Amino acid sequence: MSTPAREAARAAVPRRRPLGAIYSGNARIVLLRGLIATKSSTWAVVVSGFFEPVFYLLAMGIGLGTYIGDVTLPGGETVTYAAYIAPALLAVSAMNGAVFDSTWNVFFKLRFSKLYRTMLTTPLGPLDVAGGEMAYAMLRGVAYAGGFLLVMQVLGLNGSWSALLALPAVVLIAFAFAAVGMAITSFMRTFQQMDWITFVMLPMFLFSATFYPITVYPEAIQWLVMALPLWHCVELVRGLTLGVMDGALLVHVGYLVAMVVLGVVVATRRLRALFQD
Amino acid sequence: MTEFTPAGSTPADSTPEPPGAAVDRTRVSDGATIRTNALGPEASLEERRRAALAGGDRPRRFGWWYACETFLHSMRAYGWTLVVGGIGSPLIYLLGLGLGLAAVIPVSVADGAAGPVSYVTFVAPALAVTAAVSVGMEEFTYPVMAGFKWRKTFFGIAASPLATRDIPAGLVLAVAMRMAFVTGAYYLITVAFGAVDRPLLGALSVLTGVLAGLAFGLPLLAYSASLREDRGQMALIQRFVFTPLFLFSGTFYPLATLPAWLQPIGWLSPVWHGAELGRFLTYGAPTTAWLVVVHLAVLALYAALGAVLAVRTFTRRLA
Repeated sequence: MSTPAREAARAAVPRRRPLGAIYSGNARIVLLRGLIATKSSTWAVVVSGFFEPVFYLLAMGIGLGTYIGDVTLPGGETVTYAAYIAPALLAVSAMNGAVFDSTWNVFFKLRFSKLYRTMLTTPLGPLDVAGGEMAYAMLRGVAYAGGFLLVMQVLGLNGSWSALLALPAVVLIAFAFAAVGMAITSFMRTFQQMDWITFVMLPMFLFSATFYPITVYPEAIQWLVMALPLWHCVELVRGLTLGVMDGALLVHVGYLVAMVVLGVVVATRRLRALFQD
Repeated sequence: MTEFTPAGSTPADSTPEPPGAAVDRTRVSDGATIRTNALGPEASLEERRRAALAGGDRPRRFGWWYACETFLHSMRAYGWTLVVGGIGSPLIYLLGLGLGLAAVIPVSVADGAAGPVSYVTFVAPALAVTAAVSVGMEEFTYPVMAGFKWRKTFFGIAASPLATRDIPAGLVLAVAMRMAFVTGAYYLITVAFGAVDRPLLGALSVLTGVLAGLAFGLPLLAYSASLREDRGQMALIQRFVFTPLFLFSGTFYPLATLPAWLQPIGWLSPVWHGAELGRFLTYGAPTTAWLVVVHLAVLALYAALGAVLAVRTFTRRLA
């Protein structure tokens, strides 16, 4: 799919960087485009995403908390049920925000509005596009998480100063899901295939120690849950907001970093295969 | 009998046509039901025209069914998703919330006809209603927008010999069938979990679930049909109407547990009324006869109001 116009455009940009073929160093313009598009059309929808975890916290934390009482952590400390599920809801909302943005929105831009094809006819490379889109998804994740952490602080659900570290943790979560989500979406051809993403997200949401510890499951199921990415997110954020710091946090961070690397590499390669080669 | 004059008719239309021409034309428009040939070669043009119009009226008697078939066919495009989602999500919710959450709730949340009931018994009817309501959320938002704005299917159907009201009626019937499939699947799986005390009476909860789904869905249909631009209204409804109704309708614990200022959400919510009916039918949750009537009446009222408004909006845009 090479056109003379694009060849000319590419020739106009001197290739100095090592990644010159896929990256022009201008990912921020893709991010900027996303922000402008939000401002002009869907800002109400984007802002409303903040309320989702707040509603869940009210309904489950306060209502169900009446019956469940306190939860005992593996270390022996007890916390209120609301304090137990709040970090999980934080992680879930970061995941949802990033996944929605990097799947449905990316799919639409990829297959319907052909936005990426247009972008790639400019000097922008696939890594610029992938990077800019992921940055936008992350920004959204951070905005939600910041607001929700504030709500948690007001309700007295943060048990430790380390709750501050939950903010960068949530950025990492959003990055990881944005990257993997975009990589997977690049293989999708129809809307119907997109529904399968829901079928993966729903059980992950319910089974990842979100509303109760995974110790209620048989051991084999516990291992299965621990293999899923959301479990690592929940445990990471929960450890930070409740102040339970141990070596396991590094494992969770490592899992997420691996997701980021895998996602970025695959998404970039796919964009290149789809539109440049 | 009023004279038939097609809109925008030109003098050319009223010129005498050669015998047989009208027959061919009507056969194209609806070959199966119109037999103007039966009039014989002597019939005048006016007679043929009247016969053709009468023939065109005939499919209108069950027009809603023709429309329904159309929508069912279009659902086949994502049939597997419907089946897997319709059976998969009850399984996942009942396992994840009904059994998993139950393991950490030390006390029984509610009583049945004979003492405390298990958590899965309590939560299953509400989850089934929520599933029907979310089918309404899915089918009465973007597909309606598509019918008017993007794919314009409704205009296509409106151009056929169907009454305008047949279009929303057919759509609602098709969606009600999908709701019945989902609530039916929920019910069977709940029975398999051993969480239904009165299996025969409880089967009625499939119907009350569909009623609750329509009580939420029909007003939504009326609203979606009135939209001309997609500015994310559906996403906002999902977030600020559907989600609060799901969460604050006594779905996961009795409504009375909520602080007093949140309880009115439940009283207004079709999810709560539907769930209460389901609980009464499946395990005999204590209630009074008049309360059951109130639940049914509220749901019927929402559905009827939505139906009237929806038909009015469809007529305004299509007729």
